[in-house]
Amino acid sequence: MASRPTVTVLGADGKATGATEVLPKVFGAPIRPDIVKHVHTGMAKNKRQPYSVSEKAGHQTSAESWGTGRAVARIPRVSGGGTHRAGQAAFGNMCRSGRMFAPTKIWRKWHVKVNQGQKRFATASALAASAVAPLLMARGHQVATVPEVPLVIDSAAFEGAAKTTGALGLLKAVGAGADVEKVKASKKLRAGKGKLRGRRHRQRRGPLVVYSAEADGKDLVKGFRNIPGVETCPVDALNLLQLAPGGHLGRFIVWTSSAIKQLDTVYESKKGFSLPSNVVAQADLTRLINSTEVQSVLRAPKGEAKTKRGGVQKKNPLKNKQVQLRLNPYAKAFLKEKLGEIKETEKPVRVPANFTALHLEA
Amino acid sequence: MSNVSADLIWEVSRLQNAFLVKRNSYGVQFSKDPLNLTNVHSRKFAGFINDKAVGVVASEKGGVEVISKKVSAANKPASGRISTVYGANKGTRKTYKGIANSVAKNGYRPDLLPFAVARASAIRKSQKPVKPSPASKPRSKRQIAAAAKAE
Repeated sequence: MASRPTVTVLGADGKATGATEVLPKVFGAPIRPDIVKHVHTGMAKNKRQPYSVSEKAGHQTSAESWGTGRAVARIPRVSGGGTHRAGQAAFGNMCRSGRMFAPTKIWRKWHVKVNQGQKRFATASALAASAVAPLLMARGHQVATVPEVPLVIDSAAFEGAAKTTGALGLLKAVGAGADVEKVKASKKLRAGKGKLRGRRHRQRRGPLVVYSAEADGKDLVKGFRNIPGVETCPVDALNLLQLAPGGHLGRFIVWTSSAIKQLDTVYESKKGFSLPSNVVAQADLTRLINSTEVQSVLRAPKGEAKTKRGGVQKKNPLKNKQVQLRLNPYAKAFLKEKLGEIKETEKPVRVPANFTALHLEA
Repeated sequence: MSNVSADLIWEVSRLQNAFLVKRNSYGVQFSKDPLNLTNVHSRKFAGFINDKAVGVVASEKGGVEVISKKVSAANKPASGRISTVYGANKGTRKTYKGIANSVAKNGYRPDLLPFAVARASAIRKSQKPVKPSPASKPRSKRQIAAAAKAE
């Protein structure tokens, strides 16, 4: 195997420290948006709390149908008198203060089981996608000022990050400031009832700081937690909901150098799981087509090189001389010799008198 | 990494990406990518996807700025851009010649040449001062009378 690709480690000032880390094997995992999407859909449902309308709603009246013969619909009607409510229709989903149609129940199937192998595959795929700069841009991360993707920062640089000032300064120094600014500017009031239900604002997601709990400690979590959009995650508990928010690949991840060092051992320690391998070794179509292996077995193209004239106006060959010549090369000589203008000089000769007899005889 | 290619990235981000603008119901899709020469969402013009891409944007001090991507620095966003400014005082022919040289002559992206020149041309045209339209002459009797009265 050729030498594994490496990634430079940045210092606290955003400059390369000179040290490099070998890129963990996970970053070579296949990028599969279909699997990530599917697993994300399932996982996102597992934090839901049951809700339903009251069991009694719409049924707290002793209504009964009047039956037929009273020229009103047979819907149950509130009994009694002395109030406007008496005689009004009740219970039905079409009635005022009736029950809703198919009242929601708390025993709805809220949670979805997602197979562990699939979850691990999706996580590996999302990690691989986080090392592809175009996918980060496609997700909307502002990474134009980031020196390298994946972004690895020396663990020693995180010492000042226990305080938010230091943490924010570090992010700005390594070129992740633009992404934090974007999150800050994106904070909006949520549309709809969510405002009343503890989801008042919505905002973008910023960088995800992945650290090693053993080597880096957990102090940096406190430093980063008040920066809008920035999330932290220990490397041995990576979560797909953070790695691919909304099921979209390409989260911008800031790695500590000890976290990226640990990543290979994290995957080696997962029992019964080996990293998914790529179906094709070369994902570049142009390179595949132009490779000697493909080109050497291709047949030569049949027929002559001809441009198909599609969608052009049809030209009348009787009026357009060029088109006529293309169809009838003889037309050139015919016109040049003016054969069309030659008058018959000889008079037509009458057929012999016995022509009809001879013709019929034959 | 061998698991990634422009073709794959296109398939992943074709249906949804941060640059894509789907605003109307009749199917046309645009792109806000600065490296997109026609602002049309397509594989050919998607600058953030292709290893080689060209963008033409208005320069701050007038003129146009041509940006392109370094193939060798695909995963280094901060250093992966080359930008050339053709100032407002640079001649039209020299500007286009410069664009042609950087875009097509060295085999970078010859297919983008006409689009790069067209975009540069449109930007330069937009930077010219708008010619004031002549004041409309009074034509109707009422207008003529009003004009005469004003004098």
